[in-house]
Amino acid sequence: MSGKLFSLDTVYVLTGLVLSIFSLLAFTDRSNSRRVGSGLFWLILGAIFIFGSLMPHWLTGMLVLLMVTLDGLGMVQRGTAEFKPEAAIKSGSIFLPVIAIPVVTFALAIIFRLMGLDANRGALVGLGFGGLLAMFICLRITRGDFRELMNQGRRLNESMGAVNILPQLLASLGVIFTAAGVGNLIAQGIVQIIPANNLFLLVLANCLGMALFTIVMGNSFAALPVIATGVLVPLIIKPFGVNPAMAAIITLTAGSSGTLMTPMAANFNIVPAALLNMRDQYGVIRFQIPYALTIWSFHVLLLWLLIRFS
Amino acid sequence: MHVQDLLKLSGVAIVVIGLALRLRTTIVVVVAALVTGMAAGMPLFSSEGAFENLPMLTRAGQTGIINILGKAFADNRLMTLFIITLPAIGLAEKFGLQERAAELINRVRAATVGRLQLVYQLFRILHGAMGIRLNGHPSFVRPLVYPMSVGAAESQLKIKHVPDEPVLEKIKSANAAAENYGNFYGQNLSPVQAGILLVYGVMQGLGYTVGVWDLVKFTIPVVVASIVIAALQFGLMDRGLNRLREAR
Repeated sequence: MSGKLFSLDTVYVLTGLVLSIFSLLAFTDRSNSRRVGSGLFWLILGAIFIFGSLMPHWLTGMLVLLMVTLDGLGMVQRGTAEFKPEAAIKSGSIFLPVIAIPVVTFALAIIFRLMGLDANRGALVGLGFGGLLAMFICLRITRGDFRELMNQGRRLNESMGAVNILPQLLASLGVIFTAAGVGNLIAQGIVQIIPANNLFLLVLANCLGMALFTIVMGNSFAALPVIATGVLVPLIIKPFGVNPAMAAIITLTAGSSGTLMTPMAANFNIVPAALLNMRDQYGVIRFQIPYALTIWSFHVLLLWLLIRFS
Repeated sequence: MHVQDLLKLSGVAIVVIGLALRLRTTIVVVVAALVTGMAAGMPLFSSEGAFENLPMLTRAGQTGIINILGKAFADNRLMTLFIITLPAIGLAEKFGLQERAAELINRVRAATVGRLQLVYQLFRILHGAMGIRLNGHPSFVRPLVYPMSVGAAESQLKIKHVPDEPVLEKIKSANAAAENYGNFYGQNLSPVQAGILLVYGVMQGLGYTVGVWDLVKFTIPVVVASIVIAALQFGLMDRGLNRLREAR
């Protein structure tokens, strides 16, 4: 029973309910000239959250296409109604709700670990229940009402807008790229241009391929199997007798430099920019590029030196 | 390369061009997915249920593009779970959360924007080493790290109001970056982390059994470099802010 309650499906349903409330509030928001399209968009997303595990995949797929069409036609907008500023709470108790979120996230991660379950899943379930607990605490200390709570959530959600579904869309694109064999093409292209006897160029190509493929896929985890199979093992580890653990883990984080530079990793680079109401959608990426190039060069040198002098 | 291979890459080209032209991202991504799938000869729908043996739209034994899209979208709902934290954060902000966080950091004299980012990055590396992988943008960055950084900037610039837009944008990007730096490079410090297990699994499949602790060991130089380079970048940011104060 408790296993069922504290599951990902439960937090999906809870999030879906929150989205449904956002949707109802959007439908009735007279300050939003596109309230029907906006309400529909969040209603569909809510329905996918609630029923996503039960619905046939083709139906989910069609609903996704409908959402994207609504956004493409410019029918997803934010309400402009300003909420009256409340009297501020001067004590530190205002921190309690936002501290509750990470505390519950951690607690469930650790409880899952102790029960021999997946701690990362526990962290996600914890994020959901932490959000719920934070809502209760927030209502208690502000003596605000539920409608105000949801309207504030909706304000943040609508200011981010359709960007919110980008990570899920990009993950789907990644699956289709993989099914179509795009990665193997990139690996083959690299193999064709690199001379097989120059260790430094091979290391360079390995790290470059990893970063490039991560930039395309938005995910270094998707790039590793492709690059390891196509470049790292046949061209570096096997012919040069390299320590496989060392070469593989350094190749993985060479890909992380790519993650820092790509809008395809929307959940790390684009959603945060929206979450912080940044003017420039690509501001986070711009800031990270010099760092990413530096640490990527470090990976090339480190891998080359470790192979050369071992 | 064959023509069909090049066609498969058209999806990549669509993404690059679409994003460069700043077209609506959601549309660009879905069009790229449909074009790539079709170039690879995938049908639109799987041949099952109401779609069984439907001509044109299905092909026997092949999964449809729309089916893959729907399944992947539902499987990745976890990426959008942060929405459930928005009501509490929104209401707390309305009741002065950001002002309190700024006040709190204002009292710490040694606090600068850059040092704060570095401390936060180390805190996130610690999570990684504890075997916990999470996305800190909604739970830490927006409600706490961002307002604290604004507070630090106020005392660094010796101003009594929120810094102006260009400075604010820079602070926000540094907040998100500190989270990503700590998360990406710190998460391989524990053998139970997904990255380590992925490398283990992939290498196993290629005929090499690698020790998970060996993987953790060889990630240490990268973690050290990730901190040093961040210290440089955030240090430069602090110098920029100090110069801004002197220019006033």
